[in-house]
Amino acid sequence: MHNIWLIARREYLERIRTRAFLIATILIPIVMGIFVFGSSYLTSRAKFSSHVAIVSADPTFAADLKHELQTGRNRMTVDLLTPSDAVRTRLNNDLKTKDGDLTGYLWVTSPTQANARPTFSYIPRSAGDLATQNTLSNSIRNTLTREGLVHEGMGASAIDSLMAPVVIDTSKTGDSRTAFGAAYLLFFLMYMVIMLYGMNTARSIIEEKTSRIFEVMLATIKPEEMLAGKILGVGSVGLTQIAVWMLAAALLGSTPLAASLTHGGHAPISATQIFFFVAYFIFGFLLYSSIAAALGAMTNSEQELQQLNMFLVMPLGFCMLMLFVIVPAPNSTLAQIVSLIPFCSPLLMNFRISLTTVPAWQIGLSFALMTFTILAILWVASRIYRVGVLMYGKKPNLSEIMRWLKYS
Amino acid sequence: MPIVELQHVRKAYDTKIAVADLSFTIEPGSMFGLLGPNGSGKTSSIRMMIGITVPDSGTVSLFGQPFRRELLQRVGYLPEERGLYKKMKVMEQLIFLGQLRGLDAQTASKRAHMWAERLEITPAIHKKTEELSKGMQQKIQFISTLLHEPDLIIMDEPFSGLDPVNAVLLMDTLLDLRKQGRTILFSTHRMDQVEKLCDNICLIHNSRLILSGSMREIKSRYPANRVVIHFTGDANFLNHPAVAESKNYEGHAELHLREGADAQQLLASAVQNGTRITRFEVMEPTLEEIFIEKVTESARAMQAGEPIRA
Repeated sequence: MHNIWLIARREYLERIRTRAFLIATILIPIVMGIFVFGSSYLTSRAKFSSHVAIVSADPTFAADLKHELQTGRNRMTVDLLTPSDAVRTRLNNDLKTKDGDLTGYLWVTSPTQANARPTFSYIPRSAGDLATQNTLSNSIRNTLTREGLVHEGMGASAIDSLMAPVVIDTSKTGDSRTAFGAAYLLFFLMYMVIMLYGMNTARSIIEEKTSRIFEVMLATIKPEEMLAGKILGVGSVGLTQIAVWMLAAALLGSTPLAASLTHGGHAPISATQIFFFVAYFIFGFLLYSSIAAALGAMTNSEQELQQLNMFLVMPLGFCMLMLFVIVPAPNSTLAQIVSLIPFCSPLLMNFRISLTTVPAWQIGLSFALMTFTILAILWVASRIYRVGVLMYGKKPNLSEIMRWLKYS
Repeated sequence: MPIVELQHVRKAYDTKIAVADLSFTIEPGSMFGLLGPNGSGKTSSIRMMIGITVPDSGTVSLFGQPFRRELLQRVGYLPEERGLYKKMKVMEQLIFLGQLRGLDAQTASKRAHMWAERLEITPAIHKKTEELSKGMQQKIQFISTLLHEPDLIIMDEPFSGLDPVNAVLLMDTLLDLRKQGRTILFSTHRMDQVEKLCDNICLIHNSRLILSGSMREIKSRYPANRVVIHFTGDANFLNHPAVAESKNYEGHAELHLREGADAQQLLASAVQNGTRITRFEVMEPTLEEIFIEKVTESARAMQAGEPIRA
């Protein structure tokens, strides 16, 4: 026990003093924040501030649509034009120039019959700009509805109150947008940290292999102690990093700025979420770092480790894929099953807990399954470690690794 | 009670046999040399002695007891491939390694400072290990082996890569430790070091033991029949009936005498012929000569398919 403590402490102190630790501590949350909140900000901003041209022979309709595109959340710049071949050519050329700021133009063809709808065609600069297209389509529908209602003889104020957006009160569960953002943020944070520290464990084993230090160590202590110390040491660095982030988040959360962002309601990340995040991080780290330790013991260099990297990346990538199953229906059977798979629990069960109320037995079961898996992997890893750490030169094949497991 | 006892130890890796049926004992307070050319199985034998690998068959005993990990607290081991944590400062490193061997931090620090003084590396103890020269790093590793005052010191090629001044410094240290009653085993392929230092030796070649015993006893098995002569003048004495074989390098002759021949008569006849002798030395064969003879003998025996007498 004393030896494990000594190894863990050495590993911890050496890592925490490096510049890499400092950089990761500062950069990872910034990158994650930009990634999660920035991307949603960018897509929403694009929709509101596009510059479109409406080409229509019906000036009333065009003016109404322009009004619709400039009220509410929309802040579009709209040009009104009357149809002609010259206008079409000019607009097409405008879309082809590199520095024009026109997002696209809407060509309205008036109906040939009295009661029929006009037809619309939208020519965008980028075929992928679905956001502007959606806004246009919604606004056109609103404008047509409004015109129809006027035609039926309703007053303007009656129409306004009918068409006012519906507000759903989510103050009991907090603003769902921020809650979702927070859950997403936690997911990616966990993903990054497990990946980073799993690889760090493997790397530190390879480092000792190349520097041959473990031969000195193995003459005094057991390989199991060395493995345990290493995993604990590297894991504590990860926990320290998370603690720093949480503390910083708590400090930021208590400032007036954060209060204004969350509209005085719930804090985006609750204490329960933090508790489960830390608990699942510990288990997830133990799971993946013991796999990484086995990989490190099997290889001789970072390059070889890169090739075996997929054993870490694949289960984590699978979790990422399963997000699409869990987000719309966090309590579906499939979501329940995948979040109980020990390799996915740290990420997916934690994510479900952020989104919905998960039955206690499922949480308990996930921890039990993970504990069992961790013990099994550690047993295998320590055997591979014990033999593999002394093997230099050639890479072992599968049958050799199986033989190592039997070797006592 | 022998400090180390190997009985019929055997170890094979895949298809290569690293150690085949090796047995020897090391007595307390002795300096034991494990000799052999590169790849003969020295490191494999040492690794089994300290439990890094387990023999396929045979037994290893330390301090008169069957091998247990706890016994390693009394052993200091210097591996052939040196390894230290590169980023750690020298003193931190020594204290850490001392603690792993069961010392508390204060004792480890006190002893580390004492040893640093003795091996003349005190100015370097606050530097990072990676900033030091290879020889310096080797001294640090040497100290880390001795911090816990082990009864048995095992060193794999301890002098390789050291300049002559430092090699002598470490040799003297080892001799001091033996005077204090420690048992020392070291492996090497440099015969001259062994001749100076060791009481007992064990010679392995192609993973087999081909010679073992006390230095004195082994040497006495071989007659003192080598003669080195420095001379000027007549070289006719080289044809004297006592001479079995001779090489003459312009005034420096190396001779082998016939069995039972007396070197004294050779000297007398040379002087009578008027040859001027500046040096006349009768010698035992060097360990190197014995080694080469044994190795060629065993190679021949292997070809003939005969069992080898050790």
